Amino acid sequence: MSLPLDTLLRVETPEAIDLMLRPASVVPRALAYAIDLGIRGVILGLAYLVLGFLGHIGVGLIALLTFLIGWWYMVLFEVLNQGRSPGKQLMKLRVLNDDGTPVGWAGSLLRNLLRVVDLLPFGYAIGILSSLLHPNFKRLGDLVAGTLVVHQERVHARFAMPQVIPLAPPFTLGLAEQQAILAFAERQNGLSMSRREELAALLAEPLGVERSEASARLNRIAQALLGAHT
Amino acid sequence: MRLTESQAVIRPRSPWEALDLGVRLAREHLRVLMISWALLTLPVLALLTAALWNYPSVVILVFWWLKPLFERLPLHILSRALFGETITVRQALTVYPQFLKVQLLSSLLWRRFTPKRSFLLPVQQLEGLSGATRQARVRILTQENTQAASWLTIVGAHIEMALYVGLLGLIYLFIPSQIVEQLDWLKLIDVEAHGLLWIEHLTNLLYALVLLVWEPVYVACGFSLYLNRRTALEAWDIELVFRRLRQRLMGAVHLLVLVGVVGMLLLPPPALAEEITAPAMCPLPPQEVAGPDAPHLLNQPLNSQVARQHMSAILASPPFKNEHTQLQWHVGQQGKDKKSSAESQGMHWRDLEVLLAHAARFLEVLLWTLLVLGTGLLIWRYRVWLKLFTRRTTAKPTSPIDTPHQLFGLEVAPNSLPDDIPGEAERLWHQEPRKALGLLYRGLLSHLLHDFHLPLKEAHTEGEILELSKSMPRADIVDYLHNVTMQWQRLAYGHQMPTQETLKALCHQWRILFNSQVPA
Repeated sequence: MSLPLDTLLRVETPEAIDLMLRPASVVPRALAYAIDLGIRGVILGLAYLVLGFLGHIGVGLIALLTFLIGWWYMVLFEVLNQGRSPGKQLMKLRVLNDDGTPVGWAGSLLRNLLRVVDLLPFGYAIGILSSLLHPNFKRLGDLVAGTLVVHQERVHARFAMPQVIPLAPPFTLGLAEQQAILAFAERQNGLSMSRREELAALLAEPLGVERSEASARLNRIAQALLGAHT
Repeated sequence: MRLTESQAVIRPRSPWEALDLGVRLAREHLRVLMISWALLTLPVLALLTAALWNYPSVVILVFWWLKPLFERLPLHILSRALFGETITVRQALTVYPQFLKVQLLSSLLWRRFTPKRSFLLPVQQLEGLSGATRQARVRILTQENTQAASWLTIVGAHIEMALYVGLLGLIYLFIPSQIVEQLDWLKLIDVEAHGLLWIEHLTNLLYALVLLVWEPVYVACGFSLYLNRRTALEAWDIELVFRRLRQRLMGAVHLLVLVGVVGMLLLPPPALAEEITAPAMCPLPPQEVAGPDAPHLLNQPLNSQVARQHMSAILASPPFKNEHTQLQWHVGQQGKDKKSSAESQGMHWRDLEVLLAHAARFLEVLLWTLLVLGTGLLIWRYRVWLKLFTRRTTAKPTSPIDTPHQLFGLEVAPNSLPDDIPGEAERLWHQEPRKALGLLYRGLLSHLLHDFHLPLKEAHTEGEILELSKSMPRADIVDYLHNVTMQWQRLAYGHQMPTQETLKALCHQWRILFNSQVPA
């Protein structure tokens, strides 16, 4: 059986550390692009209004600004702002190289120059198709430049866990199992009462407790896993 | 549905990541999704077109309106495929009529326009809920992820448009330009009046083809959003791990009981209990009261304080610390103030215009300078690369050997020779015959060296030059060289004078060979 389907991309660093990147698909990217388009439109519109009064230098500045915003807006933001244009920042996206390193001038320039190809024949049709078909949702510019648009790492908020007396787990637990028990303790307020009991009951027998007490027991184990001592 | 059979990794994701999973799901089952969608929708479109041939706009409207019904098919396929059940197109199409009846009207009327359509479709189709229970379920589900679901529909509409217009544009690009020139664009605006209905039906077909690409993705994204919401609500990921843990432990417990029974029979009672109850012995080191900065080693002449002084003295002197004073000119602060105050006082609109004009000129100069400098920099940067494209002859290397000015004491540089060598030789013959023959020989060597590029060096002897010259293409010159060399060697080393006829003949031959003019 092949590996289960997931949206993670595993990148191994030279130090043999696995980084998990989360490539972003077409919908959030389209929204980020729409936001950027809007911002650019507003900036240029305002600039035309103001600089239009300044005669020759105004025309010159408008031409410069149009060039700068048309071709360099994305590049400058991506390189100088950790791979995030304002739209991407709002959508919590960022551009990285394929190996997870920050995108550089060459990569960013290339991927943004190739927008010209991606937006053919109309409205980024080629880019959309390419992104839908590629396992890491790359458009042609990303393919050529070797870049990747990923979701930013989330900072997880600590959930309030029930304050109970910790209890060392009665059996050894793997990493995933420890995480699951902690997640159970953290997320139980989001679960219905019956669902919580049902989940805990799965482990009642191995824990050697009644089904009704399993939930409380798991909470105590979670406290111990957090590092609290008896 | 068995979670352990899931073909996708189940974990709580952010709504956007859930959409990513949807795209991946659709891509994974692209074939069956697209074929089944085509087999379902294209015949419907054909029927509609046939029935309403005169009303193409109505055809596409009805077709568009029926989308929620079509979407039930990919959802069925995806829900089966997610839990490991590969389903063929034929199977999917045979069970499809069952879904068709369920809540037909509500899907087509008031639920047609909710942007959360694909997110909520699984509630009625997979959970089979309706009425009040469905309402309650939807209320719980829509507490989160609804934004992403709505954006999915909105972005989806735009993607449909982009692909549709893109496809139209592509077709337009393939129309020969002669036909495009003859096109009457006004006719296209009102096709129905001009009997060009087929064009409109063709664009309808294009829209159906676009849906072929996007609708499976749309349904899969809605489905994955729904899955994600259920995962968060019911902690599916936790259930999965708990089930595996239970399986592991229960299996282990059975084994443990067996091992325990055998162990009790065979082994003396182990001292396991004491080991476990013994407290973990790892005494903390005694608290250091004085830190590393406190004075210590006080009972010896070099105590810590003196040592510290020495150290800081060394660290404050070269090479650890180098101080040097630098004097620089700065733009005076006073002048600046004056200027700005002057500006603020007497600033008129006219001045501003002049200033702006100057600024524009300055900017222009600056930009041109930058362009020139940048171009220069680029050329300099890629000079080696550019050399590849220049003509090779310009970069021809100078001849590898230095052409010598003298060969065995004879001047052979062209400027040391007279223009008319044979004439000069004949003139010299009467006074200094040795010099005359020498001149001929020198002239010949000079020709070989500079006109025929014979690689001669100062170290070569007459015989070697003769050998070298045999590689030359001109056999007549080689013969002539042979003759002159013989005569020269006889005169130079054997002191045997050539006869006047011989010299005349040599001069004559020279004129033939080098085409110089015969003196009158």
